[in-house]
Amino acid sequence: MRLARFGIQSIAGLLAVSLASFSVITLMPADPVAIAIRVWSLPATEETVAALRAEWGLDQPLPVRYLHWLADFLGGDWGRSFRTGEPVLAEFAERLPVSLTLGLAGLALAIGLAIPLGFFSAAYPGGTADRMSRALSVFVQAVPAFWLGLVLLWVLGVQLRWLRPFVNDWTAIVLPVLLIALHSVAVLARVYRRDLKETAEQPHFRTALAKGLSEKQALWRHGHRSALYALLSAVRSEAGWVIGSTATMEILFGLAGISQFLVQSIAARDQMVLQAYVMVIAIWMLVMNAGANLAMRLLDPRLA
Amino acid sequence: MPRLIMLAALAGFLCVGGFWQPHDPDAVDMLARHSGMTASHLLGTDHVGRDLLSRIMAGGWRTACVVLSVGAIGFLFGTLLGTAAAVLGGWRETVILRFCEFFVMVPTLIVALTAAATFGLSPLSAGLALGLAGIGPHALLAHSLSQRVLGQPFILAARSLGVAPLRMIARHLLPNTLPLMYAYVGNQAGLAAVAYASLAFIGLGADPSKPDWGSMLFEYRMFIFDHPMLMIWPGAAIALVTVLLNGFFDNDRA
Repeated sequence: MRLARFGIQSIAGLLAVSLASFSVITLMPADPVAIAIRVWSLPATEETVAALRAEWGLDQPLPVRYLHWLADFLGGDWGRSFRTGEPVLAEFAERLPVSLTLGLAGLALAIGLAIPLGFFSAAYPGGTADRMSRALSVFVQAVPAFWLGLVLLWVLGVQLRWLRPFVNDWTAIVLPVLLIALHSVAVLARVYRRDLKETAEQPHFRTALAKGLSEKQALWRHGHRSALYALLSAVRSEAGWVIGSTATMEILFGLAGISQFLVQSIAARDQMVLQAYVMVIAIWMLVMNAGANLAMRLLDPRLA
Repeated sequence: MPRLIMLAALAGFLCVGGFWQPHDPDAVDMLARHSGMTASHLLGTDHVGRDLLSRIMAGGWRTACVVLSVGAIGFLFGTLLGTAAAVLGGWRETVILRFCEFFVMVPTLIVALTAAATFGLSPLSAGLALGLAGIGPHALLAHSLSQRVLGQPFILAARSLGVAPLRMIARHLLPNTLPLMYAYVGNQAGLAAVAYASLAFIGLGADPSKPDWGSMLFEYRMFIFDHPMLMIWPGAAIALVTVLLNGFFDNDRA
């Protein structure tokens, strides 16, 4: 029952996103036919314009075009890019693994680091871990990840010569993942720490201490579960930040991901690419949300 | 107080940057390439001899426009929607909250990216897009704050004294919610400066010749081997603006 409701809500959300983005994108001032004629150097005669309009269905009203697009999209035809002439789906299928690797690895690394950092900053308030996580959360808010990336490239690549900047080797994957994770580590560690602290004020926690558990043992046995729950609910909103930072990372490190493709397509006002991009992001957010919800449900049987 | 002075100094610097720069930010001077820090070029010049300080000042003005419009749009509409939702209640509250939650779910940078792809990137369109994206979280915060205030006894007292609804909102509700909203808006404005820099860095500029901190970083990234200061300064400017904004508005750790 809950599952069915969740499914219906997700599909309704996706439809709303697709309709909104389709309207905005098709209403944008640039005329795709004019661009196509310019990009492909076609003769700009009345017939070509009319033929292109008819072929792309641009002569039909917006709702009809939307339904056409929706049917095609579901059927696996995501249109063709104006710029390259290639099917958008094929291009995305090739580039998606790069972006997904960055995003998922960044998020996973962030969760993996946030738990120990948050735990030790809760166990030793005012200690090294606590001060580190506090400083980190101020730091990542002020310093954009791409600039930090540039500075790191300069320090590690130019000053120390440990790696070669702007070269496509393994460092071009590891550094972006680290930089993407950094912001989320700070946020998630603070969330995790706050929830542990709240647990420590509960009566059952005092009981655990009275039983003879040490503070750390009690935090881990009785606090970790609910703190992990809070952390997962923060992951849902961090997922959006992560996918946004993959965009700057792909540009900085020259990785062939979907955001890089989008940016290259923007000059040509490539509507199909933009639309496909929005849909992919919407699906990513949906999947991350569903995944986090599922994990939260496993953690807290009362929800199931 | 020192924070206020620093923020005022920053605002003054950014505003001056909009109208006056020591050199023309776009003036190419091939004889003075990579001049380093000299008396006439305080922060040095770039690979075609443009004065870095002038470019940072011109870019600062554009950043300031974005930050101001983001703050104004998000704060104004967010407070309006959130307060309205809390005061109205019922199905209208549900509709407004659902709508805002939907907006919160959509990543801010993606909204701005789409807007920039559609309308081209200018301080105005970026500010508008980032501001619109900021309405959702603002409204949710305003709603939860208002609801907490509305539950207080003095609201009941005012209501039983027959205070008109609008007067109630203006005299009793907003004075209690606005201080916390200010802290949030400052935080969001800092994020907006970073987001705008990210957009410009990605290269969504409708007019790449105009200096922006983000696009400068993109342009100068290849000079990290020989002239790293070129990419240090614009980044330091971004960090300074964000730290000052966060530090000023976040003083009571809301």
